[in-house]
Amino acid sequence: MVSKDEIKHLGWLSRLELTNAELDRYVSQIDEIIRYFDKLDTIPLSESEWSYSTKEVSELRDDTNRVFKWGKLQSLKNRKDGFIKGPKMS
Amino acid sequence: MPNHLYHLTANQVTCGIRNGEFSAQEYIFQILERIEKVDNKINAFILVDKQGAIEKARSIDKRLRDGGAVGELAGIAVGIKDNICIKDLKTTCASNILESYIPPYDADVIRRLKENDAIVVGKLNLDEFAMGSTTEFSRYGPTRNPWNLDYVAGGSSGGSAASVAASECAVSLGSDTGGSIRCPSSFCSVVGLKPTYGCVSRSGLISYSNSLEQIGPLGKTVLDVVMVMNAIAGIDENDQTTKPIRPIATRTSEDISTSNISSKYTAGQNKRNITIGLVKELIQGADPAVSKCIYTAVDLFEGLDCKCEETSMKSIQYALASYYTIATAEASSNLARYDNIRYGFDYDPEGYEWNTYFSNVRNNFGDEAKRRIIIGSYVLSAGYYGKYYLKAQKARERIRQEIKSLFERFDVLIGPTMPILPFKIGEKIDDPLKMYQIDIDTVIANLAGIPAISIPIGFSNSFPVGLQIMADYMGEQTLFDVASFFEKIVDVRRSPEI
Amino acid sequence: MVEVKIGLEIHCQLTGLSSKLFCPCQCDYRGEVPNTTICPICLGLPGTLPLLNKRAVAFASMISMALGCKVQERITFYRKNYFYPDLPKNFQITQYNAFGITSIGADGKVDLGAKSIGIRRVQLEEDPGRLIYENADVNANFYTLIDYNRAGVALVEIVTEPDFDNPKDVRLFLDKVTSTIEHLGVCDIKLDGSLRCDVNVSLKGGKKVEIKNINSFGDVEKALRYEITRQKTMLIREIEIKSETRHWDDARKVTMQSRTKEEEQDYKYFPEPDIPTIILGDQFISTIKAKMPELPDERKIRFLKDYALSDHVAKVLIDNKELADFFESTVKLYPSSPNEIAHWIISDLLGLVDDSKKEERSLLSGLRIEPKHIAELVKMIDQNKVNRNIAKSVLSQIARTGEMPSCVLDKMNASLIDSESKIAEAIDSIFELEISAVRDAKHNPNAMNFLLGKVMQMTRGRADPKITLNLIKARLARME
Repeated sequence: MVSKDEIKHLGWLSRLELTNAELDRYVSQIDEIIRYFDKLDTIPLSESEWSYSTKEVSELRDDTNRVFKWGKLQSLKNRKDGFIKGPKMS
Repeated sequence: MPNHLYHLTANQVTCGIRNGEFSAQEYIFQILERIEKVDNKINAFILVDKQGAIEKARSIDKRLRDGGAVGELAGIAVGIKDNICIKDLKTTCASNILESYIPPYDADVIRRLKENDAIVVGKLNLDEFAMGSTTEFSRYGPTRNPWNLDYVAGGSSGGSAASVAASECAVSLGSDTGGSIRCPSSFCSVVGLKPTYGCVSRSGLISYSNSLEQIGPLGKTVLDVVMVMNAIAGIDENDQTTKPIRPIATRTSEDISTSNISSKYTAGQNKRNITIGLVKELIQGADPAVSKCIYTAVDLFEGLDCKCEETSMKSIQYALASYYTIATAEASSNLARYDNIRYGFDYDPEGYEWNTYFSNVRNNFGDEAKRRIIIGSYVLSAGYYGKYYLKAQKARERIRQEIKSLFERFDVLIGPTMPILPFKIGEKIDDPLKMYQIDIDTVIANLAGIPAISIPIGFSNSFPVGLQIMADYMGEQTLFDVASFFEKIVDVRRSPEI
Repeated sequence: MVEVKIGLEIHCQLTGLSSKLFCPCQCDYRGEVPNTTICPICLGLPGTLPLLNKRAVAFASMISMALGCKVQERITFYRKNYFYPDLPKNFQITQYNAFGITSIGADGKVDLGAKSIGIRRVQLEEDPGRLIYENADVNANFYTLIDYNRAGVALVEIVTEPDFDNPKDVRLFLDKVTSTIEHLGVCDIKLDGSLRCDVNVSLKGGKKVEIKNINSFGDVEKALRYEITRQKTMLIREIEIKSETRHWDDARKVTMQSRTKEEEQDYKYFPEPDIPTIILGDQFISTIKAKMPELPDERKIRFLKDYALSDHVAKVLIDNKELADFFESTVKLYPSSPNEIAHWIISDLLGLVDDSKKEERSLLSGLRIEPKHIAELVKMIDQNKVNRNIAKSVLSQIARTGEMPSCVLDKMNASLIDSESKIAEAIDSIFELEISAVRDAKHNPNAMNFLLGKVMQMTRGRADPKITLNLIKARLARME
């Protein structure tokens, strides 16, 4: 069973502060979904897993620098004296 | 000047403009008028770039008047799913989180469309961050099915399919992570392609699940889809997962390496002696209203030099669980960057402790996005990684292996695109697992990285039914050959009354 | 003896690159206007994908080989997921070996003479941005300023096995690794923050305590000594040592419990889907091998053999590439006396360096001494044109002015008095003044030295002491 505490903790790890109503709803929905996923566990560990595509080193990006040309419109916000303003750290 | 230019296919539009039958401006004004007239009912567009579209049309007309060259897609009205970045044009992913985000760069596919003189008319509706199968999870409200406005258009590229079906644009781009192009294509009766993984650059596609998704075209005909594919496919230095596309049978590899896009794929080759595998599990799992329609089509093909054989794909039982495990895992990580510091909506961070600020702003994700973030965190967390994520990757490999062996026997595999007909808006929104289960037929191609196309195959209870055709890795040309062959035989193309 | 186990995590910025690890932005962010060496990729803007830098892979392979690691044939990248305001994507692209060895290097060994230290892995990863506080007291700020110029700069992380049992070996190891990295030319270690070190310490096989934020390598040893004492005290008082992360307080020279709540961390590592598995292949590896520059160990052997230096002298030179290079440049200019040159460099030249510069490992900056100066000076000594005492003051003069030694000497009017007649004149006057000492000198060596001192005093040190002594002896003999 997926528990409410578990969902709450996962929410915190993902910086989602869930309301009680959300928690209640997600617990039953996610429990049902995770139970559905349980069938995956019947696959033996010995089987090989999906391997991502490969690339030779030679195909990687060359180490040359280039200045990015920003668009006409401002894409970044919270600017202050050239810095980006973020929340306080404590 | 002919009326109803907006009903034309992309190929007809660009031929008409080149031959001087009508101008790009005349065409684009009709398109913009059409959008104005019907989109309040369909809700396919999030943003219409009138000014940009008219300017582009004007420049195409001018070049043609001056005897200059125009690109392969000259004048064609294209709609873009709003999870694909266009420079200096708002890109929202239908999320509150990206309400006012303006990308400073073009996605690779946009660069290619622009170079080929397509006219981008606007941004299309989707489920928030492409997470959904109905386009109901959009902060801009659901896109409605042009065949019945009370019904879902499918998703997540609901706007991309509905806009083409409703003739608000000739072709569109969508993205397909687990069926997001093919599902709405089937529900709205258009052609939609999920290309081979690595065939089309994902640079500028806002990630939902990186290892599964591809950008792909939607159109009224297979030829239109092929034309767009020719423009957007190919290796991109901004996406290291792209691969050189496989040379088609009749050409040598030298031709393919040249940049001339028209040499990539063709449509309408008269392909004979096709060996078709009819995937039993997909048919059996479908609503009879759907499977009946599929069987009718299969009967037609069998009379025409096609060898159709029922086959089984056992690993399908793991497909959905594998797909949702991997997709939510990747999504939970992809969506972490939305902390509203560098971009997002207006909300001053000053005075907030950072954890509080992050939690506050991230509460603006919609219901489905939050749910998938949590599921993804769950399957990746220390205690469950081995049980879910790792096993999902093993299931994925099993599926790929089985598919690979099936393509040793068949040219293509077919089945319904969707196991059910379009349903009423709101019908499944409270039952996520049930909603996930309608993706069962489409997720296979994403897991295996193979191309798959949905083509209109008929109507059942006056709702469209789509046929899904899958081909082997990099087998786009085979797909196009078979799809255009079928298209000619069944010929179900018509326009909905809106 | 309480058993101590220490392991290190060293972060080395690949400042030798032109661009960042995953984007074409300029790698060198130092001194740049905030948020100007950035692009959508290093800012993690929606839709961007990492574009792995080819040379970063080559540099990391070189470091791996130099530390005795096996370079993996296939490497992969992972996402390390955690939230922090300096992290543009709220995950870091790094490497991870829990599901098979796919970091660029693994299983290495660094020889420290008496013992060797295992290298668990060498991996590539991205640096985060920098947080700036307008008010030095972090708590007093209502906001944080973020500069993303550093975000995405390539880092190589070197993780050792917990093979150290004392802080001194750690220092030796860090000196060697630093010199190795310098010799590879992948990182300018003189740049502030280009080399950083986290340590972990456990006592008696107990819980591991991690210490972060040690800004200079010099403080690593201090932080370790402090932490070992702290833990020993706790053991004596039977206080349980908890597994925790502590920070080194640079001003107070103590380790402090991290203020941030150390909640259960779960980084949810999984393979980075946007970067394919990279195949390094034999050809790549052999090309890198062929291009590897001379490493400290090889260089030391060569110094012992070619220049007949002592083991100690060679080590001091080679632990700091700057010195070793200076030495070789000098020897090239004046090949006759390598030993003399080495001694001038490691005792006299280093004597002129402030301790603060030693900490920065930027020894010769600020001094105007070049190899040509030492070469000429040693040559003059060899030719008896100057004695060592004067040469020392000449050297400190050069350090300020950068003039050639001969020029300094001329100005000092300090050319060694080697003409015997001039020295004899001085001896004559001393003998007249110091009659009793002259009398005693015939049988008392102390009196003889006294006379020598007087002559040196009179000539302001310019007389060659050897010649002077011989002349005094001869003169005394004549008097008998």
